[in-house]
Amino acid sequence: MDKVVSLRWILGIFTALFVLFLYGPFIVMGILSFQQGPEGGPQFPIIEWSSYWYQHVFGLAPPSRVAPLPIGEALIRSLTLAFATMVVSTVMGVLTAQAFRRPFKGSAVVFYSVILGMIVPGVLLGLGMVLIADQVGVARNWWSTAFVLHVVYTYPFAFLVMLAIFNRFDESVEEASLSLGVSPAKTFRKVTFPIIFPGVLSAMLFAFTLSYDEFPRTLFTGGSDVTMPIAIYGTFAVEIHPNLFAFGVLSTLFSFSLLAIYGILLTLSVRRQRQRASGLQEDIS
Amino acid sequence: MKSNKRTWLLLSPGITWILFFLVAPLIMMIYVSFWTQTTFSIKPELTVTSWVNFFSSDTYFGALLRTIRIWLTVLFVTLLVGYPVALYIGQFIKNKTLQTALLVTCVIPFWTSFLIRVLAWRPMLGKEGAINIVLQKIGIIDAPIEVLLFTELSVIIGMVQIYVVFMVGPIAFMIGRIDGSLIESARDLGASSWTIFRRIILPLSMPGVIVGAIFVTVMVLGEFATASALSGRKVNLLGNIIITQVGSLKWAFAAVAGVVLTIVMATFVAVMLRIVNLRNQL
Repeated sequence: MDKVVSLRWILGIFTALFVLFLYGPFIVMGILSFQQGPEGGPQFPIIEWSSYWYQHVFGLAPPSRVAPLPIGEALIRSLTLAFATMVVSTVMGVLTAQAFRRPFKGSAVVFYSVILGMIVPGVLLGLGMVLIADQVGVARNWWSTAFVLHVVYTYPFAFLVMLAIFNRFDESVEEASLSLGVSPAKTFRKVTFPIIFPGVLSAMLFAFTLSYDEFPRTLFTGGSDVTMPIAIYGTFAVEIHPNLFAFGVLSTLFSFSLLAIYGILLTLSVRRQRQRASGLQEDIS
Repeated sequence: MKSNKRTWLLLSPGITWILFFLVAPLIMMIYVSFWTQTTFSIKPELTVTSWVNFFSSDTYFGALLRTIRIWLTVLFVTLLVGYPVALYIGQFIKNKTLQTALLVTCVIPFWTSFLIRVLAWRPMLGKEGAINIVLQKIGIIDAPIEVLLFTELSVIIGMVQIYVVFMVGPIAFMIGRIDGSLIESARDLGASSWTIFRRIILPLSMPGVIVGAIFVTVMVLGEFATASALSGRKVNLLGNIIITQVGSLKWAFAAVAGVVLTIVMATFVAVMLRIVNLRNQL
């Protein structure tokens, strides 16, 4: 038994080091984002603590030799693209998962083809799409060629999430509603949808964040109007400055606030369901 | 018959999308790899010139070997680092809330921008980076270690940190599912910890290892950004080759590199899927 206890300690310390390994770069980046500007470089030591680079990101800093990050329009494009991708892939994910609730011939082929979308590396898909666009004579744009590839990427995630939800789904509730004469459309809206809503929310979160951050697929297909990740990638080639770190901290905070909104919505929906359930119980008794 | 029609109606948007925007581009890539490349355009006259050029060029064949070497290294290291963590989370933490909290802690970095995560390694690994400063302060080293940044090592470190989560998650999930009474009864029957690990935990966690390996493989093989950002464009993977070839409008050549990458990936995934049926694990 002693051996097990010491093993627990060793593994525990290892896991702690692992978490440090995962977060170390972020911590360093966070510290360096408060470097003095505009002379302070992206390395230690900190010359003087300042919020200069944050002002720089928002374009509030006086002009200097460091060019401002090309955000703004790129950010709006990325958000629009992520939103559209989220809507389309979630709807398709729900539809496909709905179809998979009944066994059908060829389900394995369909399953693996859909999953392929999240597995095939973005570089390859981007390349294939560019080749087609080039031959067909379609212009490359973030809202056309890039958008369809974003959906190919996020749709499998939405599909898998919904499949997992439907696997744990009690069909008798739906059947009860249908046998009471409620139309299939209304049954979906009033019975099925509220139950699968947490899953839909997760699918939306996945689709939005994956698309917002998507980079290799957009690189070839996005055309000349860049999205956020492409704009950031463009600044890699030249010398980096702490304004990228400040931007990194801000975008991390943005992702976390999305996660927080997701958490709040999920808690609310669970609570509402519980209240409805207890209300039902009172009606019966 | 009616329900069958309904099934295909529900599937049709998804299938159409996949056919046009996933299957078609991949077929096009294979097709174009056999086209004739002229200076700035391609002609649909079939030839194997691009293929011959790829395999007879030291630069490109070398890039293929380098890609495979880095991929296998990252795969091995993510398994080596990820497995103990997954074992700890799945087996040694009995409190479900704490277990979830730890897993979420590992997943959170995944929710920040990929490029920012790559970039964050620059101030860590540099000559005046955090690691060198800390090591010098403690007194382990006298002079800064210079091989940390802009080498193959920095690319591997960066990739391991980014992709190790995809190894930890599936393995922890499978280990967490192991019935506790199974292990207890083995212990009651006098099995040592090592035997329990080897005979129970390891075989039952294999599906997790394989799913993790597939994730890491497809992501690392499709990589180019980490390599160019952390190696100062010194380490060229097949992904980087595709980028430069597309940039100089050498479509056929980029397609060859893409097909080679696909073949390596598909072979590995097919072998892995022989061992475990992904759909049953869901």
